[in-house]
Amino acid sequence: MTGISVLGTRLYGAGGLVLPHVNYTTILPELIVLGGMLFMLGISAMRVRSFSTQFYAVLTASIATAALVSSLYLWRDIERHGPFTAIAHSIDIDGFAVFFLVLVAVILIVSSFVAAGYLRRENIGGCEYYALALISGSGAMLMASANDLILIFLSLEILSIPLYVMAGFDQRREASSEAAMKYFVLGAFSSAIFVYGIALTYGATGSTNLADIAAFLAKNDIVSNGVLLGGLGLMLVGFSFKVAAVPFHMWTPDVYQGAPSPATGFMGAMAKAGGFAALLRVFVSSFPALRDDWQPIVWVLAALTLLVGALLALVQRDMKRMLAYSSINHAGFIFLGLQAVTARGVAGSLYYLFVYALLVIASFAIVDVIGGKGDSTHDLASYRGLYQRQPVLAVVFAVVLLAQAGIPFTTGFFAKFYVIEASVDAHSYALAVIAMASAAIATFFYLRVVFLMFGVQSANAAVPRHARDEFAGLSPSVGALDPVLTLTGADGGTNVALSISNWTKLALFLCVAPTVVFGIWAEPIVSFAQHASLLF
Amino acid sequence: MHGDLLFSVSLGAGATKHTFPYLTALILLPAGAAFVVLLLPRRSRVAIRIVAMAASLGVLGIAASVLTVFRAGDGGYQMVSAQPWIAPLGVSWDIGVDGISLFLVVLSALLFPITLAYASERTNLKAFTVWVLILETGCLGSFLSLDLLFFFLFFETTLVPVYFLIGGWGHEGRGYAATKFFLYTFAASAMMLVGIIALVFIHQSQTGVTTFDIRALEQTRLSGTASVLLFLSFTVAFVVKAPVFPFHTWSPDAYREAPLAGTVILASIMAKLGTYGIVRFDLGLFPHAVVMLAPLLLTLGVIGIIYGGIVAAVQHDLKRLVAYSSLAHMGFIVIGAFALTGESVSGAVLEMVNHGLYTAALFILIAMIYRRRGTFSIPRLSGLQHSAPVMAGAFTVVMLASIGVPGLNGFVGEFLILSGTFLTHRWWAVVATAGVIVAAVYLLWAYQQVFHGKEAPRDNEPAFPEMKVREGLVLAPLIVLIVVLGIYPKPVLDRISPSVDALVNHVVAVAHPKIPLNGRPLHVQLSVKEHVTK
Amino acid sequence: MIHAAFLIPALPLAGFAILLLCGRRLGNPLAGWIATGFVGASFVVTIIVFAALFARSPDTRSFTQYLFTWFSVDRMNVGVGLLIDPLSMTMAAFVTGVSALIHLYSIGYMEHDERYSKFFVYMNLFVFAMLMLVLANNFLVAFFGWEGVGVVSYFLIAFWFGRPAAASAGKKAMIYNRIGDAGFLVALFLIFEKTGSLTYSVVFAHLSSVGRANLIAIALLLFLGACGKSAQIPLFPWLADAMEGPTPVSALIHAATMVTAGVYLMCRINPILHLVPDAAHTIAWVGAATAFVAATAACAQRDIKKVLAYSTVSQLGFMFLAAGCGAYVAAIFLMLTHAFYKALLFLGAGSVIHAMDDEQDIKKMGALRALMPITAITCLVGWFSIAGVPPFSGFWSKGDVLMNAWSVAPALWGIGAVTAFLTAYYMGRQYYLVFMGTPRWSSAKEHGDVAMKAVDHGSSLHPKDARKVMTVPLVVLAVLSGLAGFLDLPFHPDFVFLERWLSPVVGANLAHHSFSLAATWAFSLVDAAVALVGVGIAALVWKSAVDRKAIEPRFLYFAWFVDWTYDHAIARPSKVLASFAATVVEMKMIDGAVNGIAAAFRNTGTKLRRVQSGYVRNYALGVLGGAVLVIAYVVFRARG
Repeated sequence: MTGISVLGTRLYGAGGLVLPHVNYTTILPELIVLGGMLFMLGISAMRVRSFSTQFYAVLTASIATAALVSSLYLWRDIERHGPFTAIAHSIDIDGFAVFFLVLVAVILIVSSFVAAGYLRRENIGGCEYYALALISGSGAMLMASANDLILIFLSLEILSIPLYVMAGFDQRREASSEAAMKYFVLGAFSSAIFVYGIALTYGATGSTNLADIAAFLAKNDIVSNGVLLGGLGLMLVGFSFKVAAVPFHMWTPDVYQGAPSPATGFMGAMAKAGGFAALLRVFVSSFPALRDDWQPIVWVLAALTLLVGALLALVQRDMKRMLAYSSINHAGFIFLGLQAVTARGVAGSLYYLFVYALLVIASFAIVDVIGGKGDSTHDLASYRGLYQRQPVLAVVFAVVLLAQAGIPFTTGFFAKFYVIEASVDAHSYALAVIAMASAAIATFFYLRVVFLMFGVQSANAAVPRHARDEFAGLSPSVGALDPVLTLTGADGGTNVALSISNWTKLALFLCVAPTVVFGIWAEPIVSFAQHASLLF
Repeated sequence: MHGDLLFSVSLGAGATKHTFPYLTALILLPAGAAFVVLLLPRRSRVAIRIVAMAASLGVLGIAASVLTVFRAGDGGYQMVSAQPWIAPLGVSWDIGVDGISLFLVVLSALLFPITLAYASERTNLKAFTVWVLILETGCLGSFLSLDLLFFFLFFETTLVPVYFLIGGWGHEGRGYAATKFFLYTFAASAMMLVGIIALVFIHQSQTGVTTFDIRALEQTRLSGTASVLLFLSFTVAFVVKAPVFPFHTWSPDAYREAPLAGTVILASIMAKLGTYGIVRFDLGLFPHAVVMLAPLLLTLGVIGIIYGGIVAAVQHDLKRLVAYSSLAHMGFIVIGAFALTGESVSGAVLEMVNHGLYTAALFILIAMIYRRRGTFSIPRLSGLQHSAPVMAGAFTVVMLASIGVPGLNGFVGEFLILSGTFLTHRWWAVVATAGVIVAAVYLLWAYQQVFHGKEAPRDNEPAFPEMKVREGLVLAPLIVLIVVLGIYPKPVLDRISPSVDALVNHVVAVAHPKIPLNGRPLHVQLSVKEHVTK
Repeated sequence: MIHAAFLIPALPLAGFAILLLCGRRLGNPLAGWIATGFVGASFVVTIIVFAALFARSPDTRSFTQYLFTWFSVDRMNVGVGLLIDPLSMTMAAFVTGVSALIHLYSIGYMEHDERYSKFFVYMNLFVFAMLMLVLANNFLVAFFGWEGVGVVSYFLIAFWFGRPAAASAGKKAMIYNRIGDAGFLVALFLIFEKTGSLTYSVVFAHLSSVGRANLIAIALLLFLGACGKSAQIPLFPWLADAMEGPTPVSALIHAATMVTAGVYLMCRINPILHLVPDAAHTIAWVGAATAFVAATAACAQRDIKKVLAYSTVSQLGFMFLAAGCGAYVAAIFLMLTHAFYKALLFLGAGSVIHAMDDEQDIKKMGALRALMPITAITCLVGWFSIAGVPPFSGFWSKGDVLMNAWSVAPALWGIGAVTAFLTAYYMGRQYYLVFMGTPRWSSAKEHGDVAMKAVDHGSSLHPKDARKVMTVPLVVLAVLSGLAGFLDLPFHPDFVFLERWLSPVVGANLAHHSFSLAATWAFSLVDAAVALVGVGIAALVWKSAVDRKAIEPRFLYFAWFVDWTYDHAIARPSKVLASFAATVVEMKMIDGAVNGIAAAFRNTGTKLRRVQSGYVRNYALGVLGGAVLVIAYVVFRARG
């Protein structure tokens, strides 16, 4: 509430209410998404018998595509006249923002296809899922271009609340509802902390507008910066929760596991995109002056996130939990870019986010397929011998996982390379080394899954030495090295032919194709990200 | 990107443009073949085998023509083909070959068809073939890259196929071995990436140019500390890969559990990625650190020679025995590289090739025994020479090469290494020479156990079959090379030593080593200068 | 004509190649004849080249035939070339000659062996390697031959690899040789470092710049190599075991040629030894000691070949004694004569063993003189020659050595004289036990294995002289060992043919003793006396007796327990050490550390997992805790 009134006081200029001129083109993408959402609700309300999920999927995708196009127009404007602010400087349209607009649009498109497959299998009709996705997407978009802490807070909520609902979307599984509950409670908790942070910051600088704050800090050196730092710290906590940085990550595995797989993928991509968008903008664009104060915190956060994520993923037996921790590990890598506090660093983070978003959606799409009806079977064992049953799917998943591991000739490698480069450039060698170490660990647990899927009986296999193989898996992949199990169908994995909807296939293609193509032909995205980061 | 640009190969000074892009083809051919195999149906084994064989033989052919096109006496890189890849990062497809990499490339090109020809994998042949072909691309790429990032890409790429080759087609302990191999080597090389990037930035801060081109990076001026730290970040990766004592414990397991193809490629080619990296990158990029830390590395090398021999002497498993003997030979290569004399470094490079040849032959012979008796256990074998004299003869030749008997290829490399090392690090060389004795002990012991004595009469086991013609054909090229390179290594050394001298010269010029040259002026420097002025 | 030199090694090599490829098809006996033919041809060529060299004036009697560059890196430039000078040609001549004879003998000796052709493959390869060693014009090519002969001797000792003893003996020989070779290699490194070359002529031209200490080191390291190859203290035990090989092998490799390579090397580096007399005298003393120890050991052996083996070691000791005293001519002279009579004795022993159906224990022989007259007579000549009974060859060569020994140190002469006496004695002992006395082999027939062999043979024991191919070599060698002494007669400067022939190579560095003619006569008489006493005592003691425990102590039977000592002091401890390294150091420490790290990661993960309780309150607590930490940090950072 306080925040709103603050905004109010700013709007009352020298007497009389001066409403700011609203340049709607600057928020066109958001408007398109929201409008599209309303339209969808409208037509679904008009119809007695609801449309098929495919219809809504296509509709969502086309809405998102429209948003994508419009944001590309914005990109053109920026390239013409450079970045600019609008609506009482509360909206900042720059390359950075547009990058996120594009990213969010892409996430919407891809994930809508994934959802289509899921919803039909579980025959959950209606457009609610897509509506929620669109709302949250609009929040993320707003977050990317928001130039005012109040607006950031609002968009953060717009982004989050639908996610809570989506987490609990599958009422039949109480795990799902439980996840929603946890997510909501903790999310609210962190939001409160975040608002505190905003309040303190306002108190210290007398403004909530990032540009003003930056200017203020540039002009005068605060004698006692305790309040300001406190504000920064709390805001950092809030963001860290959203992007699931250690130690604010604990909700992640439970929620990721409980939520419907497509929702998890969407959540993983969207929440991180929005969270990091705001995080980067706030800290890099308005508080670079105080970097000496907050960099160490980020350093610690990054290190913890990298290591804890990797180490915990190592000991998971449930695929979704493992991916949850791996996404935490990824968050750590994205933090490297922030910690560097350089254009290069931001560019690295952006690139990483883009790559990561596609990969996480793809992984959970496949998890969804394997999970089968009721979204149930997620034990690693159920991936054993997948190659024998679903060669293509196995290969695709292998590519996705290897990309996440950062194996050369995938975008994943360049993502890691880029952020590492950034932090080396910023002379935080120790952090770079920690990151590489965690990468080594991470690579192992990704490969373990790949190995499970391709685990073939060795031509030279004699009696398997479990004692030794135990180490091989560092957990359940023992069996993967056990020829007997692999031979007999009794290898945990369901041998019923998996049904993959064409929508999922399409989504997977959209995710995997760029991962490989741009992994070899890396130039375009790299330069795009660099470009965007330069256009603050 | 324009095809013709990609295929524009400059053969150095006064050479014609737009000739056949040998090196690019070398790298891409196996990858392409792997792709083709992927498209083939899993059932059609014959087609898969044919494609793989054709590709690897094609690579061999190209390698042979590279050998002919290569100009001896030119120390620089040849057939360089540069093509920007990620301009913003200064990464480029930049490949070339010089005396140091030339024969390693040829070795790889030779060994892959041989291993493919003798590989007997039945289950999941398709996946197996794909991995092997990818591995070939990775190895060749690593040897040919002049761009640090590309080197790293290929260097890392090799890990994945090997992991799956061991894990998928290995022996009983394969899960443990594969995991250990992957984690150990990957963790070691992860640090190299940090080192690479740091080096690039230091170079950038000095010249304003962002590039991963090693020829440019060689000119970087590094402070002592920076040099040492970067050197370590690189060297850890290399010494683990080679392997060098005490970073070797993954190798006995990996060599033991891997299938034939995996073992041969690991021991004969991928081990050389490590030693090649030491010679090419450590010496080239960090002369100060090399000179400063040479005693340390030399000591590790010498320990490896003796220790490897001693441990090998009590192994009861043929593959593990050869694994430890490889550790010893890697020790020779390492001391040769760090002794920093033209002789020793040339010897080290030659020894890389030699070791590749006889180790591959040894493992193939061991595989032949395994296929007949189903065991690697030395105590369970005996008297095989009675029924398989030809195989025994082949084994003897290879064994003697590995022991380092003059007239076979093993000797020349070791002799050059030791005599060169003696000039700068006398006592290390003397101790290393003792390794000559140890090598004889364990190999002769193993040979006596396996081939001599009474042929153990086994119930329900047929007499030990003699080597088949196909097997003979697989082995023949290796044996021939072992003999020829022992008697007439001159052509090889004539191509190796100019590049090596240029390298040593570079190190000396940059670092001015105060190596104790037994009270004599820098012999190295003089000799190299002479050679260069020639 | 001298340009045909390359044929000398090339011919045996060709024989090797041909037999290797189609030896089995050629079969028995053709393969043997071909092998013999090639070696014989090589001998003929050698003689021709020899003559061509002889035709030159003494100061131009050195010619290098450069074949090709082996390898060339920086200063390490090694070519393969043949050095044709009096020394190398003398060696080549007797090597090819004796080899040819022994090949001939082998045709008969190996006729019942199923790996007949393989035997001759090895033999030809050996001759090639030996000739490379002898004719090399630089140290490294010599080392090539040096190793080559070692490897082939490994093959041939272990020729009957079915017998574990044979296999082990081969391995043992190889390893002892490698120990010496390590010394050889280090010497080469030192030579290369100091002179920048390995070619004899260049090296010897730059000795002035090497420095005394280095020269001593080089000399002794090379001598270490020689000890390995020529079975001198401390590396002699392998030679006795090497008798596991077929007898012709023992005759050719372990008596006449290979084992003398060390002596040849010492003579080859006479310019070095000349500069460092201390080192040279060390060699002399080691040689003398070896000669004595081995001779005593020979007195107590039961195996006919072991007697000869130790006798060989002892004779080699004499040669090193000579070389160490700077009497290179004497060394070569003894080497020549020894090659003849020792080959003769071995071949004789071979015939006996054949006749006795592979019985080698002299205590189970006796009274064969009547049954095998040729063998008996030739062996008698061999015995007198080695004993030094005038006018047989041994008398002259050993006399020459002893005279030189006296001029260096009378003590050396003393040891030599005693050894000479022992030599005469133990050969006599063997001769009597084998050829004289009463037949003990008929009774020996009940002895299990012999009886069995007899049955295998389908006939009981009928000892008789062997076929012509085996007796002819005996006769030829007998004649040679009878007359070879006249190559170098001490009494008048005109008679020292060998010394004059070799002077271009060794003349400058030859130790010059000036004994009056009277003194020379005196020495000769003493030598003769010593020899005759030895023969006499042998005759007295062994005429009738079979066993005399008192003078055949175990201590001597086991050659002063040297083997036993090495086994317990070196072999076994190092085995223990090795298994310790492999189990504890490797598995527990190094690999343990590696796996420990991996385990540590896993455990950390498992521990961290406990935090994930699943309760919201805990998670909230986590968030709060984190927030508190951040604030705490901030407060700590905050100014004012």
